[in-house]
Amino acid sequence: MEFFIQQVINGLTLGGLYALIALGYTMVYGIIQLINFAHGEFFAAGGYMGVILLSFLAAHGYMETHPWFCLFGALLLTMGYCAMLAMAVEKVAYKPLRYASRLSVLLSALGMSIFLQNGLMLTQGVYDKAYPTEFTHGGLDFGLITFSYMQILIVAVTIALLLGLNALVFRTRIGTAMRATAQDKVMSSLVGINSNRIISTTFAIGAALAAAAGIMIGLYYGSVRYDMGFVPGIKAFAAAVLGGIGNITGAMVGGLIIGMVEIFAAGYLSSEYKDVWAFIILIAVLYFMPTGIMGENVDDTRV
Amino acid sequence: MKRLLSLSLALALALTVATAAPGLAKTLKVGSLSPLTGPYAADGNDIANGVRAAIAVVEQEGGIPGYDAIELFAQDSACDPRQAVAAANKLINEKVAFVIGAYCSSATIPASETLDEESIPMLTPASTSEKVTERGLAHMYRICGRDDDQSVVAVKFMVEHLKAGTVYIIDDKTTYSQGLADNVEAKAGAAGIKVLGHDHVNQGDKDFSAVLTKVKQADPAVFYMSLQNSSSGALMAIQARRMGITAPIIGQDAVYHPQLMEIAKEAAEGMYLTFGFIDQERPLYKLFLEQYAKMGFASPGAYSGYAFDAAYAALKAIKETGGTDPDKMKAALMAMDYDGATKRIKFLENGDSGSNYIIRKVQGGEFINYWNPETNALY
Repeated sequence: MEFFIQQVINGLTLGGLYALIALGYTMVYGIIQLINFAHGEFFAAGGYMGVILLSFLAAHGYMETHPWFCLFGALLLTMGYCAMLAMAVEKVAYKPLRYASRLSVLLSALGMSIFLQNGLMLTQGVYDKAYPTEFTHGGLDFGLITFSYMQILIVAVTIALLLGLNALVFRTRIGTAMRATAQDKVMSSLVGINSNRIISTTFAIGAALAAAAGIMIGLYYGSVRYDMGFVPGIKAFAAAVLGGIGNITGAMVGGLIIGMVEIFAAGYLSSEYKDVWAFIILIAVLYFMPTGIMGENVDDTRV
Repeated sequence: MKRLLSLSLALALALTVATAAPGLAKTLKVGSLSPLTGPYAADGNDIANGVRAAIAVVEQEGGIPGYDAIELFAQDSACDPRQAVAAANKLINEKVAFVIGAYCSSATIPASETLDEESIPMLTPASTSEKVTERGLAHMYRICGRDDDQSVVAVKFMVEHLKAGTVYIIDDKTTYSQGLADNVEAKAGAAGIKVLGHDHVNQGDKDFSAVLTKVKQADPAVFYMSLQNSSSGALMAIQARRMGITAPIIGQDAVYHPQLMEIAKEAAEGMYLTFGFIDQERPLYKLFLEQYAKMGFASPGAYSGYAFDAAYAALKAIKETGGTDPDKMKAALMAMDYDGATKRIKFLENGDSGSNYIIRKVQGGEFINYWNPETNALY
C-alpha cells in the first residue's frame, strides 16, 4: 500500500510537469492549428534561464536569506523571458506564414526547434549545468512514504498555474477573445478582436507555462542540459493528443495520465519499457476515441 | 580606386601563397573519435582535450622528426554506432595515422571494424567492454581497464569491506553498462550476496522515482548503479538520497567525473566508484595536468588522462619507427614498457594494457583513493 501511494505521489509530480508543457501545444494548436515543435525548446530555455538567475542569486547570498523570494522571483522572470522568446519566435517563424500551407508552418516549427536547441548548445555549452539545490532537500516522511518538499512545491505550483490558466481562459475578456479567435479568425476580427495580438498572447502563455515546468524540473532533478527539451516535448505532445488536442482540460488530464502510466509501468512492470506503455495507452485511446479523451468531434475549430 | 583594388588583389594573392607554402611541408594527421555532442558530450570533450594535451606535450618535447606539425581531427561519434562508423570513414578519408576513441563500447566496436579494414590503429581510452579487444583485430589497443575485472573489484568490495548480504542493481542498457551489471549480478550471486533485484532504465531518463521506490522497498545493503555517464549518475544519486535510500551506492568508471559532485553535491558524498588507480605523483601525470590546465580546459574528467596516454603512446610509436606504417607501429607499441601518465604502459598480446581497478570514494567533494582490492586495506 505504501508502495502504491508513493508511486501515486511520483506520478502526480511527473504528470503535473507534463501537463504544464502539454498546455502550450494544445493552446497553440487550438488557435492556429499548428503543432509547435519548438515548444520543447521554450521549456529548455526556461530551465537555463532558471539556472542562470538562481546561480546568480545564490552567488550573492540571497538564496540563504530569502529562499522563497528568490525562487518565486526567478520563476516569474523566467516565465516572462520565455513568453517574450515565444512571441519573438512567433513573429519570425510563424507570422509570415500565416496564410501559407500548414506544411510550411510545420517545417518552420521544426527548423526553429533545431535552431533554438543548437543556439542553447553554442551559448551555454554541452556540459550539464547544475542548479543550486541546497534548499531542495528534505520532505515529509510518513514511514515508508516520502513526500519531498520539491514534490510538494511542484504539485502546488502546477495546480496554481492550472487554476490561473482556467480562470484566464474562461473568465476574462482576453480569454473570451482567445476562444473566439480559435473558433473563427475572420469573424472574430470583424467584431474588433486583433487576432494577431491574440495569437501572440497565446504563444506567450504557453511558453510561460513551459518555462515554469523547465525551472521546476531543473530544481527537482538538479541539472539542465541543452537537449532536455526533446523527450519531455514529445511526451507532452502525446499528452496533448491523448487529452484531445486543442482542449485545455484535455491537456491537463492527458499529462497526468501519461505521467501516471509511466510511473506505474516502471514501478510494477519494468522500468525499461515504461515509455512503451505510455504510448500503448495513447494508441488504445486514439483507436476508440480518435479525437482524444476530451476532444470534440468538430473539425479545426476546437478551443 | 583602381590601384587600391589591384593592390588588395595582389595582397590577397600573396596571402594565399603564403598560407599555401607551409602546406608543402608534412603534417601528421591524427584522429579522435568521441561524443562531442549529446548526453555524453562532457566525457567526449574530455577525451579530445586529453589528445590535444598529448599533442602539445609531444610538440614541446621536440615534435616528431620528419613532420612539421601534428593536426588533430576531432570527430563526433555521438555514442551512436551509425554515426561512429560515418565518422570513422571520414577519418579514413583524411588519412589519419591513428584514432583515439571512442567512448561508448557500442560505438567503438563498429568503428574499429571500419578502421581495421584500412589497418588504421585504434586506441581506446574509455571503452571497457571485454568485446573491444576480443575480436582478434590486429590494431586495436586499450588503455583503460576491462569490465570483467571491474566487476570483480566491485563484488570483492561488497564482500570484504562492506560485508553486504544483499544488493540491488540498476543499469541503463548500453553494451557497457548492462554488460557490467550482468557481470556484477553473476559474481555477487556466486559470492553469496543475494541480488534483490536487477532493473533497467533507459539512457537519458531523468525521472527514476518509480524504480527507486522499488529499491527503497527492497531495502538492500548495497545499491549498485551501472550507468553510462556522470549526469545520469548524479540524477540517480540525488533522487535516491532524497527518497531516503541510505544504502551505500557503488558506481563505476563512466560515472567518474567532477560533474558528479558539481550536480549531486552532498548527495554524492560517500559514494563509492570502481576506477583505475592513478598515482598522482608520476612525472608524466604532473606534466599532463600542467598542460591541461595551461590549455584552459576544465579539470580532467575520467578519461582525459587515458586519452592523453593513448595519444602519447601512439605518437611515441610513430617517433620511434619514423613513419606511420601500422605494422611497424604495432611492433613499437608492443615493445613499449614505460611509466605513462595514468599507468604503466605495457600492452598485452590482445591489445589490452591490464586493469588496475580500486575503489574510490567521494569525500569532501573530491574523489579520494579509498580501498585497495589487493590488500583489502584502506589507502
